[in-house]
Amino acid sequence: MSTTQDRKHLRVLLIDDDPAEHILLQRKLKKASETSIELDYVGDIGGAVDIVKAGGVDMVFLDNRLVPNNDFRETAPQLREAGFIGPIGIISSDISGKYFEEFRDYGVDFKIGKDEIDATVISFIVAEYTRDQLSDTCSEDYL
Amino acid sequence: MLVTETALHLGSELERAVNRMDFFRLFKSLAGSNGFSYFGITEIGGEEHGLNFQHVHALHNFPVAWFADPKEQVIGTADPVAQYLQKASAPHLMDIRQASSDVLLSSGADSAVIVPLHAATGKRYGLIMVGGDASEDHRALALIALDAALIFQRYFEVILSLDSISGLSDREIQIVRWTSEGKTSAEIAIILGLSEHTVNSYIAAVLRKLHVVNRAQMVASAIRSGLIA
Repeated sequence: MSTTQDRKHLRVLLIDDDPAEHILLQRKLKKASETSIELDYVGDIGGAVDIVKAGGVDMVFLDNRLVPNNDFRETAPQLREAGFIGPIGIISSDISGKYFEEFRDYGVDFKIGKDEIDATVISFIVAEYTRDQLSDTCSEDYL
Repeated sequence: MLVTETALHLGSELERAVNRMDFFRLFKSLAGSNGFSYFGITEIGGEEHGLNFQHVHALHNFPVAWFADPKEQVIGTADPVAQYLQKASAPHLMDIRQASSDVLLSSGADSAVIVPLHAATGKRYGLIMVGGDASEDHRALALIALDAALIFQRYFEVILSLDSISGLSDREIQIVRWTSEGKTSAEIAIILGLSEHTVNSYIAAVLRKLHVVNRAQMVASAIRSGLIA
């Protein structure tokens, strides 16, 4: 919501071992009418790595605990090692663990509780993580 | 108005907030805990300026359709909310139907809570909450103002104060150094295992700290200052 750029079509990848979360998020995304979002879904980190390697994913919503992995500290770096440079958001029913304080050290951009997600949150996330933070005068002009 | 002791913004999340997304969540929680669906916070500019919700430090969940120009996202100087924030220092429950605030009336609500906030640097900010059933309750208004001040103080410490700190963090120096090597943001993101958005966030922060406008100036300034060899 803090952007001047035109809304664009976004491809978001949800990585969650519970397929019901895919349906729930799909419903919430439909209410975020300000944004056109295509939601892809995969249930494990191995499959997710293959998808991001194939390209075309703009943003990842990553469930904190993917069976059989431990938590995002084990999974998020795998996406970065695969060359994914889009935003990664950790979604979890419980983000109170102290280790969440270190999320940026693992290449994660943001964290959010599943019960906090609604249409206005999705609109903010899209606006925040797709906006041009650097002015035209700061394009990669020195190259 | 209801303030629950279990509200997210009153718990450990306040101490753990580290980026704009976290503060969006905290202010949204404050609004939600008090029965409001929408909130917006932004810097109060000069009298000739309205309230710009595209400001680099603005946070809000107002639907863009509320604004006369969805791309500019400004509450104009003539709007009673902007006028109140220009002159006031106390929290206020405003009857937006009587005062006729064009932007906030889009919420369908009759009233809004407006909380002026002050950064340690002297800059003034305004928090607006709307989209709920606000009532004339001094105690509730005081609690909202207190919670808003606590979140804003943390927002200042973590985000706003960075603009006035002259030194660069280790991560910022790392990114300036890679930029001086000719790496693009995308390349630096891959090297450091970050998102391109995060890299650009660091670069934007460095530009503000060094008072420069592009990458070439940033590198030159960092070399002159001895920040990088």
